[in-house]
Amino acid sequence: MSPETLVYPFLFLAIFFESFLLVTFLSKPARDRRLASTRQAAATPRVAIVVPCWNEETTVAGTVESLLALDYPADKLSLVLVDDGSTDRTSAVIDRFAEHPHITALHKENGGKYTAMNLGIAHAKDAEIIGFLDADSFVASDALREITTAFAEPETMAVTASMSIHQPRTILQRMQYAEYAFAITLRHVFASINGLYVTPGPFSFYRRTVFDRLGPFKHAYLAEDMEMAMRMQRAGFNIGNALRARVYTKGPPTLPKLITQRVRWTTGFLRNIAFDYRDLIGGKGNAVLGLFVLPLGLIAIGGGIAIFALTVTEVVQRALHALSVVQAAPLSYAFTPHPFSWFYLPVTAVTLIGITLILSTLIWMTLGKRLSRTPGRLVPNMLVYLLLYSFVAPLWLIQSVSHVARGVHTAWR
Amino acid sequence: MSLFARNALIALAITVVLTGTVIYAVNYLNNARVAELSTIEDQISIDTLSLDTQFSLLESAPCDSAASSTVLTGELSDLGNRLSYAEDQLGSDNPQVIRLKQQYSLLEIRDYLITKQLAAACGTKPVTVLYFYSNAGDCADCDRAGYALSYLHNTYPNLRVYSFDYNLSIGALQTFIALTKVKDTLPAFVINGRQSYGFTSLPDLEKQFPKGALATTSPKL
Repeated sequence: MSPETLVYPFLFLAIFFESFLLVTFLSKPARDRRLASTRQAAATPRVAIVVPCWNEETTVAGTVESLLALDYPADKLSLVLVDDGSTDRTSAVIDRFAEHPHITALHKENGGKYTAMNLGIAHAKDAEIIGFLDADSFVASDALREITTAFAEPETMAVTASMSIHQPRTILQRMQYAEYAFAITLRHVFASINGLYVTPGPFSFYRRTVFDRLGPFKHAYLAEDMEMAMRMQRAGFNIGNALRARVYTKGPPTLPKLITQRVRWTTGFLRNIAFDYRDLIGGKGNAVLGLFVLPLGLIAIGGGIAIFALTVTEVVQRALHALSVVQAAPLSYAFTPHPFSWFYLPVTAVTLIGITLILSTLIWMTLGKRLSRTPGRLVPNMLVYLLLYSFVAPLWLIQSVSHVARGVHTAWR
Repeated sequence: MSLFARNALIALAITVVLTGTVIYAVNYLNNARVAELSTIEDQISIDTLSLDTQFSLLESAPCDSAASSTVLTGELSDLGNRLSYAEDQLGSDNPQVIRLKQQYSLLEIRDYLITKQLAAACGTKPVTVLYFYSNAGDCADCDRAGYALSYLHNTYPNLRVYSFDYNLSIGALQTFIALTKVKDTLPAFVINGRQSYGFTSLPDLEKQFPKGALATTSPKL
């Protein structure tokens, strides 16, 4: 069996995933959500937004200022800033905002992000809806209106936003910009069939009853947002998405920082699934999650590593062989141009399916950006994504699987 | 039926159709490649027969067919490259590839014999290389040897290189191997009737050529 044959099952599943995405994107629930207008929801429930901070002295002020600029009745909105024992000037920065009538600034010993979030929940007693915003992120002024609109359906217990990378500068941030645009579409589509398993830190909101019934956030292997979403799914709650609720974050600018972040996310996913939420997989509960999203998520991790390993092995073998062959004649001969002939086009099932998958991913990215009205230039960032992602992503996948298999503690930063 | 189940079934149908379309497209292209190879072989076959006939008709002035013979050798070389690529794509055990290779080997032998006849009749001294290879995984240096010969042929277009798969099952080729007394130590070369085995480097291979043989052919500038 050739190595190429091993790739076929993964390619088949990848096409199946993309096809499912397309069909669900065109289905009525997703269409209705795309067409929903903020004017439909006149209701302005009491909202509290908790901002957990740990050593965010350079970014937290921008985060709070963006929240103060939200288009929402001031008497219905309160902000709870929680300093989780920062060792920099974060504490002083958030104290500057403490005089604002709708802002509460809290300080505590360092205990982890989830403890800061829970303290915030405890201080948001009169809020019907409680949201969270990471202290390195900021929001568009109409984002909260979009979020409360998505809560119009009584069965929606949590709502996620559309995240994007703010003004990407480094090449890795550019790659993430395109990746986040794809994720916007994914979140929109899977929310329409209640298939979300994470309510990300940047601007996710919950009805108060979620915490009353399910309890506060947990450590959850440093993936408290994922664990809470899985807990909600286990309880049969619906998690929605506000497509045009834009939240901007700063992606890790360097490779080591990016890998650290993604290893935390991936190990959080693997550990939560393997140890605490194994029952979500299978057809007993939410079929979308149990039979599709979570199994494919696991297969994507295994497949990503396997395809990367096969590709590297194949490329190295072929390169060494080609190098050995080319050395049999003067180097200039290798660069002799040959007339074009369709006969030599390298058209195989793998290349055709690969091109189809790449094109569909680019289309999803474009739709994600357009539908969420995310600013920025997508095309150059898509090219960076195409060039880099398949080389970079396996690095954190391999490290994550290795960490989980060896029981290695995962760091936050 | 739930929306999820309905969408999953539709997605599965799309996946099957798309995969089927891709497989069909790849097969279609491969068949087109085989058809093109077959057409080229047919054309060369006609040209070879024509040259053969021309040779017989012009017994008094056989050297008039020499130019045609040179053109044919070039076409054979291009066909060999295409056949080698098709073999990579379709696999060396593909029945169509095997049939095309058999036909190609016969054309090569025929061209080699005509070249020899013309040389004898016209007093020319063409440099011919019979190259025997194997792609059964038992010839580590065959790819390098083939590449070096391609380079030599490209540099000296008048050099006549005939490549044969040593393991190809066809009577004429096996007879040809028996007549040339080439052993199964591959890669094997018969350069103007002189045998040599193995490939180390281009300079070593060039040493196997008769003195001045490469220099007297027309190098491509």
